Amino acid sequence: MTRFVVAALLALISGSAAAQSLEFTDVELRGILRHGPWPVPWSPDPSNRVSGNPQAIEFGERLFFEPRLSPSGKVLCATCHAPFRGWQDARARAFGLAEADRNTQSLFNVRNNRWFGWDGASDSLWAQSVRPILDAREMGGSQAGAAALVRGDPELSCRFEKTFGVPPPAADEGVLAGIGKALAAFQETIVSGRSPFDEFRDALEKGDRAALTRYPLAAQRGLRLFVGRGNCSACHFGPGFSNGEFHDTGVPFFIASGADPGRHGGIRKLQANPLNLLGRYNDDTAGKSALKTQYLALEHRNFGEFKVPGLRNVALTAPYMHNGSLATLADVARHYSEIDPDRLHSDGESLLKPLRLSAGETADLVAFLESLSETSSALPSRLPSAPCR
Amino acid sequence: MEKRRRTVRQPVRALILLAAFGGTAQACELPPGTRVESPRAALSYRTIPVKIAVGEPFVLELATCPKTQAALSGRVKLDAHMPEHRHGMNYRPSLKPIGGGRYFSEGWLFHMPGRWEFVFDLDGERLTHSVRIE
Repeated sequence: MTRFVVAALLALISGSAAAQSLEFTDVELRGILRHGPWPVPWSPDPSNRVSGNPQAIEFGERLFFEPRLSPSGKVLCATCHAPFRGWQDARARAFGLAEADRNTQSLFNVRNNRWFGWDGASDSLWAQSVRPILDAREMGGSQAGAAALVRGDPELSCRFEKTFGVPPPAADEGVLAGIGKALAAFQETIVSGRSPFDEFRDALEKGDRAALTRYPLAAQRGLRLFVGRGNCSACHFGPGFSNGEFHDTGVPFFIASGADPGRHGGIRKLQANPLNLLGRYNDDTAGKSALKTQYLALEHRNFGEFKVPGLRNVALTAPYMHNGSLATLADVARHYSEIDPDRLHSDGESLLKPLRLSAGETADLVAFLESLSETSSALPSRLPSAPCR
Repeated sequence: MEKRRRTVRQPVRALILLAAFGGTAQACELPPGTRVESPRAALSYRTIPVKIAVGEPFVLELATCPKTQAALSGRVKLDAHMPEHRHGMNYRPSLKPIGGGRYFSEGWLFHMPGRWEFVFDLDGERLTHSVRIE
């Protein structure tokens, strides 16, 4: 702890540099430091035996850009998760074959999630990866159709065999699980690069006062709000800026067909999904990956709760919230500034209170959020792979 | 970092029980761990890993014993919540008796930083203990 205090003091007493660095309290420093370091160490997904496998990554990348997974031949994973739009679509609500009810989440750092989707209806990235293929409004495909495509296409069939060591099985569900695992292996490589915030955070840890002063003062003030009075980091926790769970943040959940049940519906879907981690396709022989699913509690308060999104590269992934209802980061700051506690569940948590931010504080918070954007891409560059033999 | 608390919901009932059994205090030997006591019962618990981290699953081992001659029936419930935030966990941990008043519980996960309160219900006797998670 002493070194943090020293770092802050050094920055304060060093002439011109002092004017460019705030003095953070010990509590603030602890809050800031736990948002790093970045990137976090990589470890394979134990539930997916081809996680990190180069053959699986190549196969998954091909499937990600494969329009024939949709019977229409017009919609692919990349339709909504466009690499050049921060792996999302910049629309309020996803549009594949028709408009869906929720915003498309970016795939940056998707591998770090505990639950997948706004409602957490999947407990693994591979199970989540097949969901849009089967959704009538997204790709409109079927288990049988996807399996037939992989079995019947020599290139895809060859890649399946190279990835899993066996040809596509006769059971459609087994082929679909394999498709999901290859897609997951590819998406695990989509990691955001380091940001100005990371440089500042590491400079605080190391006591590098020159580096400290390179971080804009507005972003520093916004950071102080984020870990302090705003209490944002209670949910946007850790290096990925998400605690991986679900909260009701007062965003309306009414949709054309009634109400979006959010996490409540997600848990029900998860428990009915044969591809969940309690099922036969989980490759984790130790069984630890399934504990979260085994002990998950369904509560009334889950209704209208949605997942806390990670915030890295958040400035690249507008619009915001589960229904894409807020167009800009300033709108998001204003939402929390003026939140109406009466709109939250009566049996819900009492964490959210109106922040009553001034215009300057709103701008500071936005400056901090913008500083979470990567300065260079961390995506590995890959050449087109040779045909499979 | 940790703040020990003791809460007894029914102190009068506990006193009556003590009186009924002549106030005989039992030697209550418990394995090492965080010890929590009420007039009727004592427990010790430990988590694995010892340091609970936000968003990381952990296991809890619990040992109980009566402090009076009235034995505990083995009716045990465990839970945890964040009093200031007015919410509990998103998980319902298992509870497996392993004999001798001891229990093994898995499926715990604290998803937010701050003060969490363990709640141990032993035969209707509510014992609590708070921990601060960073």
